[in-house]
Amino acid sequence: MDKVLAVIAVIAYTAVLAFVAVRARVAREFVEFSLARRALPLALVFGSIAAAYVGPGFSIGFVGRGFKSGFLFWGVGLAYAVQNILVGILVAPRLRSLKDCHTLGDAIGQKYDRKCQILAGVISVGLCTGFSAVMANAGGVVLSNIFGFPNWVSVAIVVAATASYTTFGGLRTSVITDAFQFTVFSILLPIVLLLAILFHLDGGAVTFIRQASVATAAGLSSTSTVEIVGLVAAFLLGETLIPPYANRALASKTTRVSRNSFILAGIFSAVWFMVMISLGVVARSILPSATNEDHVLLNLVKSIMPVGLKPAFGGALLLVVLMSVIMSSLDSLLNAGAVAFAEDVVKPYYARRTTHYALRDRTALNVGRCATVGIAIVAAAGATAVPSIIKGLLICYTIWAPAILPVAVIGLWVKHPRPLAGILSMCVGTFVAITFQFILPSVIKVLAIIPTLQCIISSVIKVPAIIPALGSAVLAYVLGYWLSCHSRESGNKVECEGWK
Amino acid sequence: MEVVILILVVAGALSIIVSGVWVAIALIRAISVPPVRHPDLSGPGKQAGRRPVQSPLGDG
Repeated sequence: MDKVLAVIAVIAYTAVLAFVAVRARVAREFVEFSLARRALPLALVFGSIAAAYVGPGFSIGFVGRGFKSGFLFWGVGLAYAVQNILVGILVAPRLRSLKDCHTLGDAIGQKYDRKCQILAGVISVGLCTGFSAVMANAGGVVLSNIFGFPNWVSVAIVVAATASYTTFGGLRTSVITDAFQFTVFSILLPIVLLLAILFHLDGGAVTFIRQASVATAAGLSSTSTVEIVGLVAAFLLGETLIPPYANRALASKTTRVSRNSFILAGIFSAVWFMVMISLGVVARSILPSATNEDHVLLNLVKSIMPVGLKPAFGGALLLVVLMSVIMSSLDSLLNAGAVAFAEDVVKPYYARRTTHYALRDRTALNVGRCATVGIAIVAAAGATAVPSIIKGLLICYTIWAPAILPVAVIGLWVKHPRPLAGILSMCVGTFVAITFQFILPSVIKVLAIIPTLQCIISSVIKVPAIIPALGSAVLAYVLGYWLSCHSRESGNKVECEGWK
Repeated sequence: MEVVILILVVAGALSIIVSGVWVAIALIRAISVPPVRHPDLSGPGKQAGRRPVQSPLGDG
């Protein structure tokens, strides 16, 4: 019964998704593939950003956290909301106002030079492939658990399905299917909460508050101040301006839409976290206290389904929700990586090789499509090698923030950014992040819980190398800027005042 | 106090459902508008001057 319903759910979900993808139409020009013609309205950009960041961690993970530590994680999650709002106010409008800009690497190229763009492009492609591998791994785990397929078969199914519509439709199809997937989970999961509160919460508001107080107190007593600070820092910096978000900022219809969509996505995340945490708190009075954190949502959904439907219907419902959250993230990453490859690596390479031949639009489109397939294949192959979702994501975030953030953010704000500063910052940030992540992993050890785009897990791990790497990247930037200014004659010093 | 907090949680859940419906409406609008039909100006008087329908997502 369980499997029959699950198969029906998958078929129905795939059919609707295919219909939506077909209606989104094939991209015929590169600007359609990469930026959806810069015509995306507020609702779609907002829905797509929210769908991209809500993954298993921000759904299953947060419900489990609410079950164990009450509203402690809601407070931590607010840092993520603040990050989105700050990006919306300070960065997104500036990014959107750049002309002929397709990617974050493109923006870096316009502000610095072509070498910086290629380097940023290589980092973007690598990171998107890494993120995609982690998402493919998560999708494979979900399908394997439900249908019993071998892991590689599940991974192949998830990646092939996602890559098929992303390859032909580009960003527009990715955003439209994201909107569909957002609609699915943003309606179903809050309904689960309302059902639980209205029909299954004995004692009503008093029970809810008592459970929340007990759980939050337990969470606070088992989490040190250092851990909380680490969590807040990770939520604040972890996935700032990763390529899919930057692409959506650039593809917005206007700078106003770009700004407002990030602000709305930030506000949405605060409310979303509250609802997920509340689901966990409600589950405390329904499920046994020994329930595994990762199984809280599944067990809760099964136990509150109407008599006659449970638990099979609950399982099928959750399968649809999980496929939505995973595929919406995966398609965004595949498209962002492919666009970065075509725009930041291939196009500048051609432009450098020949001064008379610019990459034709049709060729760029084909390069983007091939890159989507290539990244999907590499991600599927790498998915089986991902040690765990959290470790994979941790590695990606640790490299992304130091490598790109200082260069991108400073570049958008400083009047005359220096290419040397950009190159130095990206190289040093990447080098230090990789060094602390792989070569010297035991330099700092603290009990921490690393929040990421897709997963939250509690375990003894090293404090993210992101902190020393980010510091090194900023220092390298300052050094590069200072060297640039002082290696030239005084005439250039006037330009350097833009820094001040 | 307890009731106020619970009302806030329920309001949050409802607001997420509303945002889902809002995005769904935008999605339906986006996929239901036909692509731009570029007017055929080759023939004398053939559709000339007729404005194309603009999809919310640009033409396709």
